[in-house]
Amino acid sequence: MEKIVNDFTINIATANGTGSQSANLILLNALFRMGTHASGKNLFPSNIAGLPTWYIVRVSDYGYQAPGDNTHIQVVMNIDTWSEDIEKLAPGTVLIHNTDVKAPVNRDDLIVYPVPMTSMARKINPKLSKMVANMIYVGIMAEMLEIPQDILEEAISKQFGGKEKAIEINSQASISGREYFKSELEKKDHFYVEKREKDENRFLIDGNEAVALGCIYGGINMLSWYPITPSSSLAEGIDKYIPKLRLDKDGKSTCAVIQAEDELAAVGMVLGAGWAGARGMTCTSGPGISLMSELIGLAYYAEIPSVIWDVTRVGPSTGLPTRTQQGDISMLYEASHGDTQHIVLIPGNVDECFEFGWKAFDYAEKYQTMVFGFTDLDLGMNLWASNGFEYPDKPMNRGKVLRTQEELEKIENYGRYRDVDGDGIPYRTLPGSGLEPIVSRGTGRDEDGVYSEKASVYRTNMDRLKKKIEGSRTDLPQPVFREEEEQDLGIIYYGSMENTIQEIDDILESTGMKVSQCRVRALPLSPEVDEFVRRHKKIIVLEVNRDGQMYGILRKEIATELVPKLYSVAFSDGLPPKAVEYAEAIIGTLESFEI
Amino acid sequence: MAKVNKLDLALDEYKGGKSTLCPGCGHDAISSVIMKAAWENSITPDGIAKMSGIGCSSKTPAYFLRQSHGFNTAHGRMPSVTTGANMANKDLNFLAVSGDGDTASIGIGQFIHAIRRNLNMLYIVENNGVYGLTKGQYSATAEEGSQKRKSVPNELKQIDLCAMAINLGCSFVARSFSGSRKQLTALIRAGMSHRGMAVIDVISPCVTFNNNEESYKSLQYVKNNNEELHGLDYIPHFNPIEEVEIPSGGYKEVKLHDGSYLRLETISEEHDVGDRMMALDAIHNADVKDKHVTGLLYFQEGIPTLDETENLVDTPLAELSEDMLRPSKETLDDLLTGFRA
Ligand SMILES: Cc1ncc(C[n+]2csc(CCOP(=O)(O)OP(=O)(O)O)c2C)c(N)n1
Ligand code: SF4
Ligand SMILES: [Mg+2]
Repeated sequence: MEKIVNDFTINIATANGTGSQSANLILLNALFRMGTHASGKNLFPSNIAGLPTWYIVRVSDYGYQAPGDNTHIQVVMNIDTWSEDIEKLAPGTVLIHNTDVKAPVNRDDLIVYPVPMTSMARKINPKLSKMVANMIYVGIMAEMLEIPQDILEEAISKQFGGKEKAIEINSQASISGREYFKSELEKKDHFYVEKREKDENRFLIDGNEAVALGCIYGGINMLSWYPITPSSSLAEGIDKYIPKLRLDKDGKSTCAVIQAEDELAAVGMVLGAGWAGARGMTCTSGPGISLMSELIGLAYYAEIPSVIWDVTRVGPSTGLPTRTQQGDISMLYEASHGDTQHIVLIPGNVDECFEFGWKAFDYAEKYQTMVFGFTDLDLGMNLWASNGFEYPDKPMNRGKVLRTQEELEKIENYGRYRDVDGDGIPYRTLPGSGLEPIVSRGTGRDEDGVYSEKASVYRTNMDRLKKKIEGSRTDLPQPVFREEEEQDLGIIYYGSMENTIQEIDDILESTGMKVSQCRVRALPLSPEVDEFVRRHKKIIVLEVNRDGQMYGILRKEIATELVPKLYSVAFSDGLPPKAVEYAEAIIGTLESFEI
Repeated sequence: MAKVNKLDLALDEYKGGKSTLCPGCGHDAISSVIMKAAWENSITPDGIAKMSGIGCSSKTPAYFLRQSHGFNTAHGRMPSVTTGANMANKDLNFLAVSGDGDTASIGIGQFIHAIRRNLNMLYIVENNGVYGLTKGQYSATAEEGSQKRKSVPNELKQIDLCAMAINLGCSFVARSFSGSRKQLTALIRAGMSHRGMAVIDVISPCVTFNNNEESYKSLQYVKNNNEELHGLDYIPHFNPIEEVEIPSGGYKEVKLHDGSYLRLETISEEHDVGDRMMALDAIHNADVKDKHVTGLLYFQEGIPTLDETENLVDTPLAELSEDMLRPSKETLDDLLTGFRA
């Protein structure tokens, strides 16, 4: 059989809290250092220790980043999922198992590498044997796949950043795995890793850290947050970078961090900061957004610059708290009671996480409104490859704030809610300035900010708000297109589906279909999306939720005559989208409508 | 010519829009004390931020201090909005008004946590034992046995906001009555001078829904059952505008952060405002007799405020320029180099 190089999926089954995460990250990092396209997806439970966890590593010379549809190399460490994990494997799969778990392998159609990982680890460090055992399978795979030891050592050093003892133990364990493979096992599989030219600009980072850095460079002044997976590491990221990047020469901070008592308070603090002229932000996940809804409407109506990042997880309710979904997009767009409409920024990769991280504040202050950032657990918590973040290319946009009497006098007929410039965006003054004070409120008010329940006043104001947000359509991040010459079929997608789209496209192409793509990067939708739909005969709206939430938004927003062109392909099982499943669903949808 | 304060401003400059509350509502009496207190203290109206939640009481920031910015937020959410505004601009002088529904029910969590963080603000609860704005339902501060108009007696125990604040370590806790103008003025003036969280629970009769004689929060009932801990005079840090009479009996002085004094004239038993247990005792003793104890219940100086514990730069964050907020390109380049290593 021929060698299979850089084209396989590894599935590592462990229990959480056993220290497998660092071993898995070392493996991923070593593959990355070899210049291969490798991605890692952590499927973890809502639990601190002892429940099943899988780490899926995909290596692909095609650059595919989605978890593969099949497993080629299976590592089993966990007794609880042992038989189920093994049962699922296709004949010919490599199985690396820890013989110290003392569980049977009742398959004779697999390539089996039995390794006494715990006993080997015990010899290296009896106290930490459970953790060290994980590095043994990394060593086994390194030898089996021909990953050079020096590269593995680099990855180990990077993982433990200067902690000599940890580096030593882990490197010892990896060597011990290697030696065991050499002396006790015989390579019967065909999987190999080969070096590729590495783009020296690339590195791995997760979306939450990228957004956190974006916020730091966006001049965030206050972070309020209430812990919730998968958004907590975003808040912790900001907290981590403040001492390095946001202290003045006397060691005093330009950004407050408050762990709020709940999400109601977290969003209240954001509004307070925005109202008083600072850049406030919170991050949360779906349940938090549900709680914040009332004040999201207040921010919209009272026109308070505010930023919320929603790192979505599986709903409804507590749902699957540690799994991924694009389940909140329609909620975000119209969050809160009454007529509301919010700006939503939708990064599709970690570079955009950074970029939209700082831009969110500019949009919030420019439009004096609530701005959401929308990511999900897959983009937020898994490592993705970055090409390097671009330093902000324009100065901070603080919006129409009048800070002095002179500035105020230049505005003809100032009123807090008067559309002086015709763009729907009013001017504002800040508390403490003494300039044209009003009582901001969520109840009806006229153009001067004076309480009013008059029908015409309410309606005029609501129309202005609509006009204000409408104006953002061409100003927000515009869609990204990949277009074919023949324009039969187009796919509209967004967010973390970016990781899977190339592979879906290749699968469809292999069946003879040529498909254009449009990645939506913000709501409200750009008019360019309309044009994309117009250019194509049929459009598939592809997303990771049950109900086709973006499909619903599109149906409402695009020109009525274009609506019949739209078809929804949407489902969600909590896992990052797999290419074959979505490609098959697309084909199935097209067939079922006999298109 | 109208009398002016230290800033050469007449009392008129501290007024607001016309009140739309029911004539005789206790809340209006408190608004008028707030205006007078701010004027007498010669506080720059520009620097005040008026904060409130939702309710008849929370509407009142529109009726005083028209030269100050205000935010009539959402029901029960005033403390968190104030927290954010405080982080944005720690130089603002936060004057907050809330109701008993707004604070003791929907907003009780935020009330507790604002105290816990020792926000630098004056938090006035206009307490009428009912939800005025939604037409008179019992609130959580209605006493067991108290009876509002056309209703049956309240069956549940009350939440005592002062006792709660004291237990939480609030640095300034007082109770007063909208009808005790002199006492309330002194307390509000002192609350404005205090650095840290000052909670003043002001019994403020709702003349429409809870002013009948069976109600423990009716005007007449409070007048007859008000146990004042002490007579109170506020002596500002600048030369007093008003003459302060020296009380004939003994007195104690509480020195406030800005150099002002609150003079406590002992009336009955001596009350030590620095003693938490004594404060709780006073509340309890009044409660068992269905009385209201009023005055400065508890006071402690020098607890760090949130803006201090946050170790913020001296300039308010809202006024920082871009070079203070956006780290340089070199710092990003350094970070990326580290990531790529
Ligand atoms: C989320 C929410 N729930 C309910 C209401 C309705 N509501 C308005 S005012 C109020 C009670 C106010 O009572 P209180 O704070 O005691 O103020 P008062 O009117 O007595 O001064 C309620 C329940 C609301 N505005 N918002
Ligand atoms: S209903 Fe009660 S609380 Fe509201 S304004 Fe009237 S008297 Fe005051
Ligand atoms: Mg009330």
